Amino acid sequence: MQKSEMILQNMRDILKITLNLLIIYIIGGLIIAFVYSKTSPLIYKNKVESKKMALRKLLPEADSIEKTGSWKIHDKEADYYSAKKDGEIIGYIIESYGKGYSGYIEVLVSVDKEMKIKNISILSHTETPGLGDEITKDYFLKQFISKDTNHLITVKNTTDEYIQAISGATISSRAVTEDAVKSAIEFLKNKLKG
Amino acid sequence: MISKIYTELIKNGIFKENTIFKLALSLCPSIAVTNSLRNGFLMGVAVLFVQVTVNITISLIRNYINPAIRLPVFMLIISGWVTIADLSMAAFAPEAYKQMGLYIQLIVAFASILARAEMFASKNNVLPSLFDGLGMGLGFLFALSIISFFRETLGNGSVLGLKLINTKPLLIMILPAGGFFAVGLLMGIYNWINTRFNKL
Repeated sequence: MQKSEMILQNMRDILKITLNLLIIYIIGGLIIAFVYSKTSPLIYKNKVESKKMALRKLLPEADSIEKTGSWKIHDKEADYYSAKKDGEIIGYIIESYGKGYSGYIEVLVSVDKEMKIKNISILSHTETPGLGDEITKDYFLKQFISKDTNHLITVKNTTDEYIQAISGATISSRAVTEDAVKSAIEFLKNKLKG
Repeated sequence: MISKIYTELIKNGIFKENTIFKLALSLCPSIAVTNSLRNGFLMGVAVLFVQVTVNITISLIRNYINPAIRLPVFMLIISGWVTIADLSMAAFAPEAYKQMGLYIQLIVAFASILARAEMFASKNNVLPSLFDGLGMGLGFLFALSIISFFRETLGNGSVLGLKLINTKPLLIMILPAGGFFAVGLLMGIYNWINTRFNKL
């Protein structure tokens, strides 16, 4: 008699606790769902907006930038664009990914008709703060300007001809230079030739 | 009288029970994100926000939580606030989010926040919990700023990215290994001052 009462009491406790947890989690889930539904369209808009801005910044002299197609790198879909001025193509912009130290680095590169780099920007990355994230700094990105594929090689010492890797972040530097940018431009070259 | 209790709570968080130097909690971020003053400071600000909101929420609903399930509920509240902060920053302050986005999501796993929820907010009223959160968050911000200032000046020769000297005197200080040296040394100095002068 006493034993069965204890079991019943136990069951009741378990039920109460479960219900308690369930209610709190449902409330929490609902709150987060509400916040998500309110913010996600804005986040999407911000992303589109910032991409447009990035494209315009890469080739400011172009008056129209149109998507020409897409290609695949690291199983990711990436777009490329042709930039026109007064109806004539003045260069291309291509999106690319490089495999960095702790995730993918998304890069946008613009080239002129001779396939020399005009400008480059890092759209997103998850590299180590303070070390790998130096890839977004000007002194590193400046090195890319007017380089062609033959000179997109990372080296560890001071250089004007090639790309000097950031000290302490060789993997991130190489991911941007060789993995992302070089393969993107090589793809563009092949695509436009054929 | 009442305000004295609150200032005492804030002082307690910054000095007497400093999360990193005294309680030795959340040492992971104190090593991982303190290689420049900017990183350390932003992380501290993000933690301050989450600590305060989590403390308030938990002290508000503490009477409706069965003690047996308090930990999963605390985790839900922490991750909920972190998600809300992350989403709303990405939506309403995309520029700031570019700087802080990396740090906010990390806070879910911080021991210091769970520890304060368990030790303080689940046993106290809203106002004391708010001030405890403020104190703890400020203490964390203070510790991270000192560590990252120390590491950035020594490792990179700069403060907030501005070059003081043109060399990198001790590059190891901004590498992961340097984090251990910095935290250990500063914790030692902090406790030495503490025992030597019996202050802080």
